[in-house]
Amino acid sequence: MKALKPGLTRAVLGAAIGAGVGVGSLALASTAGLLIEDGQILGLGYLLALIGFLFGLGAFRFWLTWAAGREINVAEEHAAHGTSGDWRRYIRFTTDHKVIGVQYLVSAFLLFLTAGTFAMLMRVELAQPGLLLGKEAYNQIMSTHGAMMITVALISIIGGLGNFLVPIMIGARDMAFPKTNALSYWLLPLPILLVAVNPLLGGFDSGWTAYPPLSQQANLGQQAYLMAFVTVGISSILSAINFLVTVFRMRAPGMSLMRMPIFVWALTVTATLMLVATSVVAGAFTMLLFDRVLGTSFFRASRGGDVILFQHLFWFYSHPAVYIMGLPGLGAILEVVPVFARKPLFAYPLAVLSFITIGVLSFMVWAHHMFVSGMAEFFHIPIMLTTELISVPTGIVFLAALGTIWMGKLHFKTPMLWVFGFIWAFLIGGITGVYLADVPTDIALSDTYFVVAHFHYTIVGGTIFGLFAGTYYWFPKITGRMYNERLGQLHFWWFTLAFNATFLPMFWLGIEDMRRRVADYPAALGGVNLFVSIAAFNIFLSVAVFVFNMVWSWRRGPKAAANPWRAHTLEWQVASPPPIQNFDEIPTVSAGPYEYGGPVGAPAEGRATP
Amino acid sequence: MISSRRHAWIAAAAWTVLSILGIVLVAGIQVLPVIASREAEIENSAFVLLTVLSVPVLMFVVVGLAYSALRFRANGDLEDGPPIHGSRGFQAVWLSVSFVLVIGLFGYGAIGLIDIRGAQVSDFEVQVRAEQWAWHFEYPSAGVKSKELHIPVGERVHLVINSDDVIHSFWVPAFGIKQDAVPGHPTQIYVTATVAGTYPGLCAELCGFGHTDMHLTVVVSDRSALEDWLNHPPPPDDSQPPPDGSEPPR
Repeated sequence: MKALKPGLTRAVLGAAIGAGVGVGSLALASTAGLLIEDGQILGLGYLLALIGFLFGLGAFRFWLTWAAGREINVAEEHAAHGTSGDWRRYIRFTTDHKVIGVQYLVSAFLLFLTAGTFAMLMRVELAQPGLLLGKEAYNQIMSTHGAMMITVALISIIGGLGNFLVPIMIGARDMAFPKTNALSYWLLPLPILLVAVNPLLGGFDSGWTAYPPLSQQANLGQQAYLMAFVTVGISSILSAINFLVTVFRMRAPGMSLMRMPIFVWALTVTATLMLVATSVVAGAFTMLLFDRVLGTSFFRASRGGDVILFQHLFWFYSHPAVYIMGLPGLGAILEVVPVFARKPLFAYPLAVLSFITIGVLSFMVWAHHMFVSGMAEFFHIPIMLTTELISVPTGIVFLAALGTIWMGKLHFKTPMLWVFGFIWAFLIGGITGVYLADVPTDIALSDTYFVVAHFHYTIVGGTIFGLFAGTYYWFPKITGRMYNERLGQLHFWWFTLAFNATFLPMFWLGIEDMRRRVADYPAALGGVNLFVSIAAFNIFLSVAVFVFNMVWSWRRGPKAAANPWRAHTLEWQVASPPPIQNFDEIPTVSAGPYEYGGPVGAPAEGRATP
Repeated sequence: MISSRRHAWIAAAAWTVLSILGIVLVAGIQVLPVIASREAEIENSAFVLLTVLSVPVLMFVVVGLAYSALRFRANGDLEDGPPIHGSRGFQAVWLSVSFVLVIGLFGYGAIGLIDIRGAQVSDFEVQVRAEQWAWHFEYPSAGVKSKELHIPVGERVHLVINSDDVIHSFWVPAFGIKQDAVPGHPTQIYVTATVAGTYPGLCAELCGFGHTDMHLTVVVSDRSALEDWLNHPPPPDDSQPPPDGSEPPR
């Protein structure tokens, strides 16, 4: 066993041993006559597999050495940081924040493609009235699509772009806790795999919201989803602590809070939400798991449990989670605008304040998901107020973007096109959100396709448009090569037109009473649904252009300069891709991040590594 | 070279024209496909008001984007734009307008909400019971049970909703009412039907395999017809054939 070094092979072996021990011991107990349920076997098997996987990977080896009071092998610790040009560092427990950023980003896009494939299957079923794949298969596909896309929205920007860029943008050599950082990434593969194979366990068909009692009736696939979600939550909390400590303790001299790039601010608020809110949903899902596996009755009405309590706990996290998904996108957009408008970010202090206000208010609006749930009658009124109030700070994002664009010198490179696409999509999402915040209209719209259209306009419009803007913008920095501009623009136009053609008609479908989460619909809506399906397939095709552009440009694209966009923030003052330690000498920052058109140049010009 | 003030005036003029055109277009439209209750009327007016208010907001951003895309292109010019970091006046106006809009919307919404859900009095009560995957109705005043919902026109009806198993949602689109049926937790809703007729309803909350086909039928008739029906009760629940689901005129 000694020959087997920490790594993926040993991790897979560890997972297999863990699963074997978990399943085997309970199976043994079962043959001895104990009453054991399948869910209990799955639970213990998964838990031990996860622990075995991480041990095999070597995730705990440095901490264990330290805890045992032994000397840490410096050469080994150094090796864990990775060597530049070695591709194997991307499949190892590597502690370099740039490697972890790429791991997150590539994983998120792979998951995006998988979940997108599920969406295509949904649109195949919905292209015509009547049933094709069947009700049960449809609900499982729909649930898996939702669970995976939620994960993409949660991890792609903060985990991918955030990990790669935040330390560099604030002038640090790495995150505060590089090993914890690697651990948060490596906590993800197993739960994601579990969600992907949930059909083998009977699938889960209650949607990502997993409302009991339906989710208590459902089969093992449901339990797989709950366990996976809790694991992703643990990863989120670890990652949040890491971001907060990094931002508050590791800024370069002169990088005051109000000189931080707006992207860093957005991620700081996001990390705070992740830290505070995630434990609530992890708690709710754990209670639900206990109801299923350990026979408790938190949410079992038949035994005195409260069904609506779950919805309160779930949305108390899951509404802030909408901002955990959205804020990084808004941050990426506002980061791109000044560079391609060649103007300082308009109303920067107000934008910072608006992010913080969104963060605070996001904890006070959860019950707007429950206007028809039967919750306390008076509670509709304060929740309607707070929900509508949150549009004031959210509106500031439009103020900042439009104010920067106005009178600017606009360069319509691909990232800037995504900014314009974002403003349109997020505006539609925001306006239609008011109809759902207003109780009288929400009663009519709740649980219809209007809601589906609305949240796709906000989450795709906010997060995915932000993700694409950011990915194109930072592609030269991350890979050291330029993407293909024409393919980038083709991707933008194709995606944006197809996206709007898909989701705009859904508002109408919702008003025409088409229910969400249903495989069939009245025949009269067949024509519009066929149109929507064709448009949706076009979204998928346009993403293929993106994937081709990224893969091809990463290998063959022309070499990128350190600062191809003439941007002022710190990450552009180091080489592309950045050297392994980011900075030879930590820069001193002497100006704000967006001093375009002014006498001041880049914030640390001449001080950073060329 | 056009001055910054001039740009603002041209854009403002475009915005005004487009907003007025848009408002004229959407004012007075019927948003809900079928309106057969007081509640649906309230909701439809809320829809119209929100849509009218959305038009200038939408146009402001669209005109701002379109104008900038047309007039503020760099066209190969590598110069930076003017170093404007903000405008206290404009920011203050923006904040004030959005704040006033929000408070106004909230006030209007609260009035509509109280209109729909307030006043806990009724002329007629029905017990609604949901199970996977069917609806059952019981009329306590007459001791009658049925699979179709029968209610009087023009009277405030109180629906008390229960579920036997999982969460369902009682939804009659033409009435603009939707209320979850929650196991172990009775919920309620009021409705005043305004037009006699037969209306389809459906379960709006995913409740498992049969959710897709969990429909119901509501028959709205005048009081005397309803009393007749209640005095000659339909055959007991189980033997009754499922409702034929005939569509109302649209």
